Amino acid sequence: MSNIQSLTYFLPELILTSSAMVIILTDVFFRGRNRNRLIWLLSLVALGIAAIFLLLQTTPPDAIFYGALAVDPYSRFFKWIFLLATVVIYVVSPYSRELDNNPRHEYYLFMLLVVFGLFLMASALDLIIVYLSIEIVSIGSFVLAGFLKQERLSNESSLKYVIYGALSSGVMLYGLSLLFGIAGSTNVFDIQAALSGVPDKAHLTLAVALLLVLTGFGYKIAMVPFHFWTPDVYQGAPTTITAYLSVAPKAAGFALALRILGITFGSSPDMNLGEWLPVEGLPFGTLIAIFSAATMTVGNIIAIQQSSVKRLLAYSSIAHAGYMLMAAAILNAQAVSAIMFYLAVYLFMNLGAFLVAIFIHNRYGYDEIEEWKGLGFQAPAVAVAMGIFLFSLTGLPPTAGFVGKVYLFSVLIEAQQFWWLAVLGVLNSVVSLYYYMRILKAMFLDSEPTGERISGHPALSGTILLLMIPVLLFGVYWSPLMNLVRSSLEFFSPGM
Amino acid sequence: MVVPLYHILAFAGLLFTIGVVGVLFRRNAIIVFMSVEIMLNAVNLAFVAFSRYHGNVNGQVFVFFIMTLAAAEVAVGLAIIVSLFRNLRTSDISEIRLMKH
Amino acid sequence: MALILQRLVAPARRGALKHSTYECGEEVEGSAWTQFNIRFYVIALVFLIFDVEVVILFPWAVVFKDIGLVAFVEMLIFLCVLTIGLVAVWRRRDLDWVKMVLPYARGRYARLTRDPD
Repeated sequence: MSNIQSLTYFLPELILTSSAMVIILTDVFFRGRNRNRLIWLLSLVALGIAAIFLLLQTTPPDAIFYGALAVDPYSRFFKWIFLLATVVIYVVSPYSRELDNNPRHEYYLFMLLVVFGLFLMASALDLIIVYLSIEIVSIGSFVLAGFLKQERLSNESSLKYVIYGALSSGVMLYGLSLLFGIAGSTNVFDIQAALSGVPDKAHLTLAVALLLVLTGFGYKIAMVPFHFWTPDVYQGAPTTITAYLSVAPKAAGFALALRILGITFGSSPDMNLGEWLPVEGLPFGTLIAIFSAATMTVGNIIAIQQSSVKRLLAYSSIAHAGYMLMAAAILNAQAVSAIMFYLAVYLFMNLGAFLVAIFIHNRYGYDEIEEWKGLGFQAPAVAVAMGIFLFSLTGLPPTAGFVGKVYLFSVLIEAQQFWWLAVLGVLNSVVSLYYYMRILKAMFLDSEPTGERISGHPALSGTILLLMIPVLLFGVYWSPLMNLVRSSLEFFSPGM
Repeated sequence: MVVPLYHILAFAGLLFTIGVVGVLFRRNAIIVFMSVEIMLNAVNLAFVAFSRYHGNVNGQVFVFFIMTLAAAEVAVGLAIIVSLFRNLRTSDISEIRLMKH
Repeated sequence: MALILQRLVAPARRGALKHSTYECGEEVEGSAWTQFNIRFYVIALVFLIFDVEVVILFPWAVVFKDIGLVAFVEMLIFLCVLTIGLVAVWRRRDLDWVKMVLPYARGRYARLTRDPD
């Protein structure tokens, strides 16, 4: 589809970019006292309009801008996840005391740009867009991670993020250049067509290219061994941003990796059936399985030793990426839908847990587990919500996390492959029970009721309680979400 | 004289390796960023070579995007170094380890 | 050849003065490895961005004749975006070399105060 025709399908993204420019101009020309509020409101309105246009977009799968971007239910599903995560963070950001020393207007602006990048990531069909979208998201996240300019931890986390980010995107680019060299095109469908007729000589190059590209994607989803940045960045960044980074870019990384790798290295371009094709001498499914095993084991084992809740949640988010990779080892419709379901559920439970961390941070200014002692008596509603989020993250019934994990495991069991991986996944869940319960124990058992009550801003507590509803609801009645995921499992492919 | 593709690719590979080694082993943050630039330029070289080889212009368009985004990335990186320098008075990344591992 | 000849003929006198850096005949002051004012970095960053983004104009110029008006409008939009960036930098006083930061200014000097950011 040509450029001008494409614009009508590109409206949500256009709204995001144009409102970002409006915000820049508002920022420099409006000097009133309510500037932060105004820009906050403007960004929320922009997100709302983008959401409305996204809702109105019900066309069948199509590719826009000469096949560079896909507009299909799959990308729309992920765009909803990004919008939801962003709105939650926007709603609580004015009430996070950590951010008080810095003007928040730039923070809102950069989040808007990151959302734009995430939208592109979910719909990329061209290697140029793959790189472009990853960089838009990364550069925005670098700034957001270092947003607390006066704090050394924030600076340090941001610098580490930039260095690892630049390194991994450079490595990924080298892989993309090799892929381009083998296939002679940057369009993924052309690459897929070209790869089926690759001469034997190029197979080693193809395997190398695949590994290099996997580095870039693995960095975005924090896959071991490309996870080194995660704990430090998550600890140093403002907690709102940590919550955001652990949910939205991770979901986008999965969306991008599944689509691009699924098309180029999968057995069928529409991904309705089939599995990973082994690249000569490199069984791809087994490779992903090994990465998955490493990711969840490392994440869980290191999480046990953490005393800072932010760091603990960072390592646990690495472990969750491992659980999702478990299903990615088998590339079929069921696996992709299980991953999408888990990402949706993970959005609610992980954001919820981080919001409670913000609640505590507002009160004490630290995030050690020690500070959580007695929360069960001081703020019972929030503590109960945190308990539910932790149950869900562990994967205990009757929460949504349990259902999500059951779907992930059932992929392996029905495919009758990688039994060892399923067993390892169960063992890891047991390990995670231990460290999640440490927080729960601190909240409810480690101190006597003192009669002191702490309360956060109603917007913060309210959002926490709101996030609890889907976690509980999808734990007992998950079919609407699963139906949505199944109906979103429709990809653009040129044969249509 | 036409330079064969293999020579250019070998050179790009070498340049890329130099960049990676620089990122991993140099301690000054600014030199680390220079090494990243070397990596990206190696990639650019490979893209242009492949683009000529296949007669597909997309590779060269990709190079333009890499150049602009790399500049943006480095600008953000330098801004972060400046902000870090204001707080810590150093740009040596081995001295920047406030967090436990 | 000339270099070798010169090497052989020239008298070899070595000393501290000869090894020092030549600075227009003046005595050397300090090391060249000093820390620059941080403002140089800010200006350099701004320059870097606007300098490199112009590279996008090259492929546009190549195909401009084939596409015509559409290409012109597209590039106009791109330049508008860049201009917004420039306006932002300018209005935020990041281009000023001397920054008017007078937190305690009173009376008619109060207007010199930079807006608290």
